[in-house]
Parts: sequence; C-alpha cells; structure tokens
Amino acid sequence: MNNKTLNFTILAICSLALYGCSRPEIVSISGSTTVLPAVSKAAQAYQNRHGQNIIVNAGGSGSGFNQLAEGQTDIGMMSRDITEGEIARFSQHVFTPIAIGRDAVVPVVSSEIYEAGVTQLSFAQMTDIYKGRIDNWNAVGGPDKEIFVIDKESSSGTRQTFFEIVLGDKKAEAAGADLVIGSNNEEQTAMTQSDAAIGMLSLAWLNEDVRGVSIVTDIGVIIEPTLENVANGTYPISRDLNIVVRGDISPAAQGFVDYLLSPDGQDFVQNSGYVPVNKPAHSLEQ
Amino acid sequence: MSNVRRYKRNIGDKVFAAATRGALGLCFAILTFLIGAIIWQGGKAISLEFLLMPAQDFGASGGIFYQIVGSLLLVIVAAVLVLPFAVGTALYRSEYVSSARRKRLIDLALYSLNAIPSVTYGVFGLILFVNIFGTGISWFVGSIILAMMMLPTVTITAYQSMQAISDDYRENAAALGLTRAQQIRSVILPQSLHGIVTGLLIGLARAIGETAPIMFIATAFSGVSVPRSLLEPVASLPTHILALAQQATNPDALRNAWGASLTLIMLVMLFSMMAYYARFKLMTFSRK
Amino acid sequence: MKARFSTLSARSKNSALKTYVSASCLVSAGLVLLIFGLMLVQSFPALSEAGGTLFTTRWNPTDNQYGMLPMLYGTLVVMLIAMVFAVPIGILAAIYIAETRSEKLRRLTRSALEILAGVPSIVYGLIGIAYVSVWVANGLSLQTGRLILTAGLILAIMILPTILSLTTDAILNVPRDVRENAQALGLYRYEVFKDAIWPVAKADIAGAALLALGRALGETMAVMLVIGSIDRLPQPLYNVLSSGQTITSKLGREVGESAFGSTHFSALVLMSLILVSITILLTAASQHFFRAGRHV
Repeated sequence: MNNKTLNFTILAICSLALYGCSRPEIVSISGSTTVLPAVSKAAQAYQNRHGQNIIVNAGGSGSGFNQLAEGQTDIGMMSRDITEGEIARFSQHVFTPIAIGRDAVVPVVSSEIYEAGVTQLSFAQMTDIYKGRIDNWNAVGGPDKEIFVIDKESSSGTRQTFFEIVLGDKKAEAAGADLVIGSNNEEQTAMTQSDAAIGMLSLAWLNEDVRGVSIVTDIGVIIEPTLENVANGTYPISRDLNIVVRGDISPAAQGFVDYLLSPDGQDFVQNSGYVPVNKPAHSLEQ
Repeated sequence: MSNVRRYKRNIGDKVFAAATRGALGLCFAILTFLIGAIIWQGGKAISLEFLLMPAQDFGASGGIFYQIVGSLLLVIVAAVLVLPFAVGTALYRSEYVSSARRKRLIDLALYSLNAIPSVTYGVFGLILFVNIFGTGISWFVGSIILAMMMLPTVTITAYQSMQAISDDYRENAAALGLTRAQQIRSVILPQSLHGIVTGLLIGLARAIGETAPIMFIATAFSGVSVPRSLLEPVASLPTHILALAQQATNPDALRNAWGASLTLIMLVMLFSMMAYYARFKLMTFSRK
Repeated sequence: MKARFSTLSARSKNSALKTYVSASCLVSAGLVLLIFGLMLVQSFPALSEAGGTLFTTRWNPTDNQYGMLPMLYGTLVVMLIAMVFAVPIGILAAIYIAETRSEKLRRLTRSALEILAGVPSIVYGLIGIAYVSVWVANGLSLQTGRLILTAGLILAIMILPTILSLTTDAILNVPRDVRENAQALGLYRYEVFKDAIWPVAKADIAGAALLALGRALGETMAVMLVIGSIDRLPQPLYNVLSSGQTITSKLGREVGESAFGSTHFSALVLMSLILVSITILLTAASQHFFRAGRHV
C-alpha cells in the first residue's frame, strides 16, 4: 500500500465519521407483526406526503416495547397490553398506549378440516386442544385425524390475547402444541402446509387455505369471525391494536401518531383488514 | 478355501468402490439440485426492474434495490474498518514478533475469533453497541460487527503473503540501511498487497451473506431507503430473504425470496472472483 | 499531512509504526476477551437468579422458568444427525476423488466446493423451507416438515463440503510410498484404504469432522427456519420427527424479544456463552488433531 492509498483511507474514515455524527430526524417504529401492515402502509404515504423518513421494523409486541423503552425507537407497536412487569422494569418513563384499530384473534383450522365439518368450536374445546386433552378431530365433530396444534411464541400479542380470553391465563403453557411459530406470516405458511392443523391468527390473515371457525358461546350462540362482529363488540376474542409512545416523544413522531389517528391514517387500518377506531361502525359495510 | 476368501474380498472391493462412487454421485446430485433450484427459481424473478425497484408490499412485489445498496454499504464500511487492524496485526505477527509463544497466542486469538458463531456476534453487538453505548439499530454497528467477523480472514491472508516474501528482500533492504519502517513501506507492504486485497475480498464475500450478526443490530424491515447517516438502519439482502422465507406459501413472496437469493449469491461470486483475480494480477504486478 | 509525516525522524517513524502494529494486534487479540468477558458479565444475573431452573426442561420467561435442557438436547441431536449423514458420505466421496486418475474430475469437484462454500446460510434456510421440509412432510405423511430431522439434514448438506474437501486433502497428504507399498502387496482398494491410508490420515479426518461439527453448531439461520422452535424435549427422546429447538434457533428467535438487563436476556446470553465455549473447544480440538496428523 503506498502513501496515497493510506491517505485516502484515513480521509475516508474521517469523512465517514463526520457524516455519521449528523443524525437527521427520523422516526423509527418497531413491534408487533399484526399492527405492522397498517402502520407500514401509513408510514409510506406519510413519507411521500411530508418527506418525513419513517423506518418500520418487525419483531413482535415484546420487542416493540423493549426497544421503545430502551430509547432505540420512537414508537412501539403492540397487539396486547403492556404488562406490569414491563412497566416496573422501566419505571423512570411514562408509556402511553394509543389504540389505532381493533382486531380479532380467530381460531383457524386447515381448509380440509373446515370442509370436513369443523366450522365452530367452543372455548372449552379449544382449551382442551391446546392443553393436549383432545388430540383427535373426531372429538370435536371432525374426521378421524390427529390434531396438529400450532402455538405462537410466548411474547406474541396474538397468543396472549387468545390464551387470556380462551384459556383464562395469558401465560398458560400449551402442552398440546406440536409446533411454535413467530409471525403471522409464518403461521399462515405452516397452516397452509398442513391438512389437520389448528392455530390462531389475526382476522386479516384468513384466506381460502386458512379458515376461521366460529365461536360457540356457553349458551349456544354462534358468533362468526367478521369485521362487523368485531366492530359491534360481539366477537369475544378481540383486542386493541396499539401503538405505544414514551413521555418524551419527539415532535416528528407525534406528527405521525396524529396522522395515524386522522381519517386518512385510519383508511390504512381499514384496508389492512382491521376495524378503525375513529370511524362509525356502519361505514364498514363494503 | 482361499478361493472363497478371494471371492469375498473381491465382492467387498466392488461394494467399496460402488459406495465411494455412489457417495460422490450423491454429492454432485445435491450440488446440482442446490445450484439448479437457486438459478431456476431466482432466474424467474430477476429482471432489471426487480434489481432497480424498491420493495413494495413487504417484499412480495417491487424489487430489491435498497436491499442491494444496504448490503453493499454494510460490507464496504466493514472493509474500511477492518483494513488498518488486519494489516497492523499481520505486520506485527510477521515482522515484529520473534517469540513462538506470542505467535501462538495471536494465532489462538484469530482462530477463536473465526470459530465464534455468527449469532454470538449479533448478541455481542446488541449488548455492547446497541444497549451499552446506546447507538440504536444502525448501519455503523452492523459494519463494526461484520468487520470483527472479517478480521481473522483478512489478517491471516495478509500474514501469509508477508511470510511468502523471500528473506532476501528483507536482508537487501536492511543492507541498504533502511529502517524497519522504511522496509515495511517499500518492501513488505508492496510485496504483500495482493494478499491484503485478496483477504479483504474473501472477507467481503463472506460478510455479505451473513444474516445472524446483523439481524438484531443493523437492519430494518420497511421504510428504509439509502441511509442518510451511519446511525440509521439499512435494508439488507439476507434479512430480506429471511422475512420473505417466513411467508413461503405466498407465491409472490417466495418468488422474490429466490430472486434475492440469486442476487446475493451473484454478489458473493463477484467478490470471490475479484479475490481470485487480485491474487494473480496483483501478485505479478508486485513481483515486477 | 504527507509533508509533516516525512519530516519526522526515521526513529520516531519507526516507533510510531511499532505502536500502530502492536496496538492493532492488541485490539485483535483483545476482541476475544472482550466478547467472552461481556457475555460472562451479562449471563451472571441468570446464574444467580435462575440458577436452579437452568437445568430443567421448562422454558417460560413470564413464569421465571429458564430450563435450557430442551435447547441443549436439540443441539446435540441435530449435530448427531448432521454428522451421521455427512461424515460417511463425505469420507467415501473423498476417497473416490483422492484415488481417481482424472485430474478433470478433481478440478471440477474443487470448483464445485468453492461455489457451495459461497452459498449463504439464509439461502440454505430458504431451500429448507421451500423444498426439504415439504419433502420430509410429504414423504413421511406428517403435518409439518419443521422437524429436528429436517434441521439435521440441512446441516448435513451445509457441512458436507467442509468434510469432503478436508478429507480429500488428508488422504492426498498420505505419503505416496505408503499407498504404493500397500498396492504392491496386492491388496484390494478397500484394504489399501483400511490398512494403509486410514491409519495415517485418521487424525486429519477427525480434525476435519470436528471442524465441521464446530461450524454446524454455530449455524443459525437455516436451523431456525426449519426446526419448529418448540422448547420441549422430543417424546420419546429419540423421536427426531418432532419439532425441537437448538441453542442457535432459540437465540435467533428470542434475543430480539427480550429486554436488555432482564433475567430472560441474561439466560439467552448464558446459552450463547455455552455455545461459544463449545465451538472454540471443538476448533481447538480439531487444530490439535491436524497438528497430531502432521507428526505421523
């Protein structure tokens, strides 16, 4: 290496270091894969309109909170409530959850099972399946086939909502689980590849291979997983989709939060398959 | 009796030969399948548009432009960072240390660095930079960690090329009254330039394919374009493939995952070929 | 800057250079200590607060249960499967390549191995998800192909090149007269290998296997995508057709989810520390075998 190259290298390092010190105002967001589609689409539109750089990262509700609490991001996305443990660990900060929409967690089964007649399940049946007490579809009116139980990672908001409402304990361990999955996308894939699976998915992820079953209540009422039932509050396994901000939120981040709650921002919540919070329920039809 | 034994040995020999041939055949079958699948599937996805368009719809449509840019930015800054340390360490090991014990110690450190699993580098980066130094998830941290991973490769390649320099050169330089610093500048560095460049390129080829070290500390899922500073996250090809692979039953996402994979492998090959070229071209150049 | 540099006396330039090279060497060597030290410190909370639960089979951070046995066991079994497939195939193929007279085949193999070495692990993961796991699921009529077996198979494919190329070198390193003497005795090919080549090359081959094992142990992305991520010991223990978890897949999936400073994070760092210690030991052992091989 001659002197010129050496000088060039030193120059390059210095200029990179200088370049690195000027941090432009960016808004960074991370967390739940359930909330992500709506926020990410809104961020894209906001960025195009206002030139504000917004970076959106996946990772799950747990990591969304942690990164916000540690100051690595400006906004966390959570599809569940903040736990007491989480609040206690970062007691020096104030966290405000803001609901941007509502979602349903739907018990889903493989299309083969749905077509064979399992179109509805009760909480007790689902509890038995996840606890490993029922392991054949014929026990719940389906074909004679072993149930393939798909569970989600324990920090997932989808799992905590489902387990809290259906099993009565959001931390419950699923002794019957055969496979554990991280994101909604990954779960959708695993469901599609199986022909005897049960899982839990956000409403927006249902399709012809992954069918949502209706819920049978204790008094025998059947509730279908539809946007309408979520909006009018009859569907039992529903939750708020939250973004969480810290007390010391930057003006740029606050601007985006306001946008998310505005009618324009809420459009992205709706076309991602969720129920917007700032729109009257009757506007949901079509 | 001896005929029976001979017969048995003969059979054994045939079986053995067939097994070795079968094993090699299997290896080539696996190779053909791997390369075939990547080229066939990736080829269907790659177009100029795919390479030059930003990702849309979480990668399921659009292209991989910012992922390519991000991956290159990560490894190029890593190369700039690793260069002075690798050359310094190689010079020290080659020109300054005489005690065998100290040499072994340096080797041990380098081999250990090489053996550390990539995910551990990610955890280390997360602890030290993202949390203790509070840098946040950023391009710069990713580059530092990749530089650490490249260090053993670059150092060892550079060192080997320094060792390959004939001692005649050193003795002649010393006889001319050159100081150690002058010897290094006018003899050692020019004569080992090919090794340094080759090592750097091999390091680049390896680093660009890494996922585990950067996925917690350097990359973001969406909304990333060309970073405006070293403290912003970047997009990268490996983490993009990871996100797309998780939705493998969505045919559009899967197609783009293959396209990104083929692109990534072509970048790896590009660096490898440049390393190959550097080894010979620069060597003959420096030996002139 | 250039001008100033050249006005420095030769002596101070000498010492400046010496400072630079020794400092960079110190940094390089210090990195290993830094990584170990930092992880040791960070894993301390897990040892003190969850020490009792670490060697159980229950992992449930919300309940303060940090049993690592499923991950340790999963790692062990996946390694074993990978070695069972890759070592015999690798050695047999290496024998053919080492003994063949076709220089063309040898060159072809060498470049093929170089191409394979350039395939990033995430791409193996994609192949695992898109092909291997689907084949395994369909072939064995299972509900999912995300199994311990699948992870082992993918790893076997990933370490095969390492074993193949290092074993070929080991066999080619056997002195020519050893082989020719055996052939002159009229021994068959497998007898030549068993009686003449193996005794000389076995240390190097063992080194190759250990090196490959070390690589496989640290492999994250491919394993993480195909193993199914369930923190439970398979039932029964030898059931490789169930989903499982390795240390690396656990780290890959959960490090981002845990908060820095929590016992949960600390337990993950502890697993990472165990992983690094084993890999470095394996690498050291393989170097030992390579050195031993050279003295024969």
